[in-house]
Amino acid sequence: MMKKIYISTIALLMFSGCAQNTPDAGGNIADANTLTSDTVTLDENNMFEDGSGMNYNSSSDGFASVYFDFDGYTIAPSMEKRMRHNATKAQSAGSRQVKLEGNCDEFGTDEYNYALGLKRAKAVKDALADQGVDTSNVVMVSFGESSPVCSETTDACYAQNRRVDLRLVR
Amino acid sequence: MRRLLLLLLTLWFTTNLLAVDATLKIEKDVEQRARIALVDGSAQHHEKFFDILLSDLKISGHFLADSQLYRGGFSDSFIDPKLKSRDYLLKYNLLSGNGTKLYIRLLRASDGTELYKKSYSIPNSAKIPFVAHKAISDINAYLKYPDISWINRYVVFTRYTAAKTSEIILADYTFTYQKPIIRGGLNLFPKWADADQRTLYYTSYKGTLPTLYKIDIYTGSKSRIISSEGMLVCSDVSRDYRKILLTMAPHGHADIYEMDLSTGSKKKVTNFNGIDVSGKYVDDERNIVFVSNRLGYANVFRKGVDTPGVAPVVYHGRNNNACDAHDNRVVYSSRESSSSFGRNTFNLYLTSSRGGDTRPLTTTGSNQFPRFSSDGSVVLYIKQSGRGSAIGYINLASSQSLLFPVSINKIQSIDW
Repeated sequence: MMKKIYISTIALLMFSGCAQNTPDAGGNIADANTLTSDTVTLDENNMFEDGSGMNYNSSSDGFASVYFDFDGYTIAPSMEKRMRHNATKAQSAGSRQVKLEGNCDEFGTDEYNYALGLKRAKAVKDALADQGVDTSNVVMVSFGESSPVCSETTDACYAQNRRVDLRLVR
Repeated sequence: MRRLLLLLLTLWFTTNLLAVDATLKIEKDVEQRARIALVDGSAQHHEKFFDILLSDLKISGHFLADSQLYRGGFSDSFIDPKLKSRDYLLKYNLLSGNGTKLYIRLLRASDGTELYKKSYSIPNSAKIPFVAHKAISDINAYLKYPDISWINRYVVFTRYTAAKTSEIILADYTFTYQKPIIRGGLNLFPKWADADQRTLYYTSYKGTLPTLYKIDIYTGSKSRIISSEGMLVCSDVSRDYRKILLTMAPHGHADIYEMDLSTGSKKKVTNFNGIDVSGKYVDDERNIVFVSNRLGYANVFRKGVDTPGVAPVVYHGRNNNACDAHDNRVVYSSRESSSSFGRNTFNLYLTSSRGGDTRPLTTTGSNQFPRFSSDGSVVLYIKQSGRGSAIGYINLASSQSLLFPVSINKIQSIDW
């Protein structure tokens, strides 16, 4: 008797589920297919188009931010154009100090992330030296994960935070 | 086929036997703990206060407390017959108004004999959690159980409030009490500078270079210790508080230095053209453990303060980027999933400074920022899971653990 009740109950639940879902599901899926993804917002003040596909920039004083791979601190070939641009800018800065600010995405822990940001700043400093810049006026500081420019949970957003910003010391 | 079957059977027996061992240990621990019930004799019941008392009893590892609240007269020695099977009753009377007063009485449950009584008074009602902690640690001491005075200590942590902006906050261990003590700008890496928790070190980013300060949290007076290009962290303090371990990067890569505070002299302890951070004293301060990427990924290593050899402490995981130490024990966080982005599983492990006797402390979620208590008996950590963030505690002797949900923006660093 109990077995029959169980079977009847399960059958009822299965059929009732099907009956509710069928009419709505078709309509919702059709509606969803007509939606397009969200549009972008470009800020021309914070762009640096160099053909690398990474057009963002959070540096100031005419410098261009340099971006890094996850957990990496070597300058990628796609960033070389930015580095040539930065070297020219640094050379024209004269006696003014140039500050390199190393930054990280949020994946990491306290001290290690700050050290990683600093290694990125050091990589940029070394690249400037390789291009003939006198780096005696270059200072480095790491902000770890404390200075994100983007807070969305997307790969593109995290990539914007793994960077070195350059600016003149005020 | 027979070998495969044998292997499967062996695995099954091993797994089940280990499970039985764990169960037996818990049963034994339960028998050893004192059964205690809380009886609130206050005119108005303070639910949060009751919860804190209960948490204190639980994390001590010495009590098996009733989670049910009982109400009753504070001054009398009447014992409800249904509570006579407990070992003790803790009666309390909490008076709030102009400050806070707490009266406690510890009674033997079998006959109502008063064993211990004490009163507490504080002018600042926000500090009520500390009154609860003090009362339970006093009762624990009266009963001659191993010391739990760590529950009376401040936890200090940094939280980000906006880009390049943070606050350094004092809290009790449950995070019920919280008070910002340093605001404005980017102030990071707080570290207690004395045994009484009157002073702490922290790194300020106010100037061009990161600067380490020591501040008196009661007077606000502060003194500059040192500045360094790139980054600067006080990662550990010697037991006599005369030396500190610093992570500094005067040449663009982080290395660990030991600074003698009386002379101001610095000694470079590690020397690697990569990342060396989070130095912690171990083995009577003859050695340090630290996190380094010298094998291509973050891992925990050991090195003598005055000798050159470096040896790995951890032999598993591909990212072990946080550690803490007490005497010759090391706790570290190990990433156990391989997602470059998104939430990874980080588990905590306890090991020795030589890398032996390793055992897991957590099994789920993202568990980071491990910190030993001042006596090394408990590990604090921050847990992130699908249900949000929590501050966790694991009593290493009793295996008791507690989680307190916290709603705080990203925590940057923590000490207690």
